[in-house]
Amino acid sequence: MILRDIVTIVLIFIGTSFMVIAGIGVLRMPDLYIRMSATTKVATMGVGSILLAIAVYFQELGITSRALATVAFLLLTAPVAAHMIARAAYFTGVPLCNLSIADELKGHYDLRTHKLESICFPELELHLPDMQVTKLRIPTRSVVSGKTLAEIDLRRQFNVTLLAVCRGSHVISNPDGDVELFSDDEVILIGFPEDMERAVELFQTTVND
Amino acid sequence: MSLTGLILYGALPLLTLAMLFAFIRLVRGPSLPDRVIALDLIATMAIGFTAVYAIARNQPALLDVAIVLALLSFLGTVAFASYLEKRI
Repeated sequence: MILRDIVTIVLIFIGTSFMVIAGIGVLRMPDLYIRMSATTKVATMGVGSILLAIAVYFQELGITSRALATVAFLLLTAPVAAHMIARAAYFTGVPLCNLSIADELKGHYDLRTHKLESICFPELELHLPDMQVTKLRIPTRSVVSGKTLAEIDLRRQFNVTLLAVCRGSHVISNPDGDVELFSDDEVILIGFPEDMERAVELFQTTVND
Repeated sequence: MSLTGLILYGALPLLTLAMLFAFIRLVRGPSLPDRVIALDLIATMAIGFTAVYAIARNQPALLDVAIVLALLSFLGTVAFASYLEKRI
């Protein structure tokens, strides 16, 4: 066996092992988002290695360049495809496995416009690490739309403070009790995480009539 | 053992086994995105399969098949993803 054949065999062996690991990974991993690491990273490594074996084995300019171009194409497209499908899965509500400890995207996606929004108050989180700051849009026909802040009484009922109301491009910061809330307003709330959950629930309750 | 023999009796059965695993995921789901990534993985494995077969049979023309498969599987996944996202 000549050196070229040995290198080809080693590359094919590496590629095939990665493919088998990708197959086991996609079958055994607990949820979609973890399975995706098997299908993109591991499988791309596997197929890249096999295509390198072609480049080594045939040793012709045309074939080598085509093999390398395919590797480059796969390296470019695999992350794009994986990101798109993961994003679509997150929107359609594919659950995380129950071993997950954090979902950092939760509450940051605007489900209507499909845009990622984040509010950063780095200083606030530094000083108040146990508090949570949330921005949410009041849905159409929410039970709170049309009510004033005094009527909702967030502070006393939920122990949550409303920092500001964003209405279109207009921001009402530190609003008083007479300010009325409407659907499509965005409110910025601060509170302890467990209180926040109950308050967010209230805002997302809609009138059923 | 020769190069061809190693590929025909070593690499190809292993790739088939990997494809079988991905196929089980395709059948079991449970969600549509799961099936889409399983299909994507099967397409990637088919690229590897074709490439290995091209070496075993000394047919470099089969590399073009692998390239077309790579292009199609990317387009397919992107199309699936965008329709999934538009559906909701």
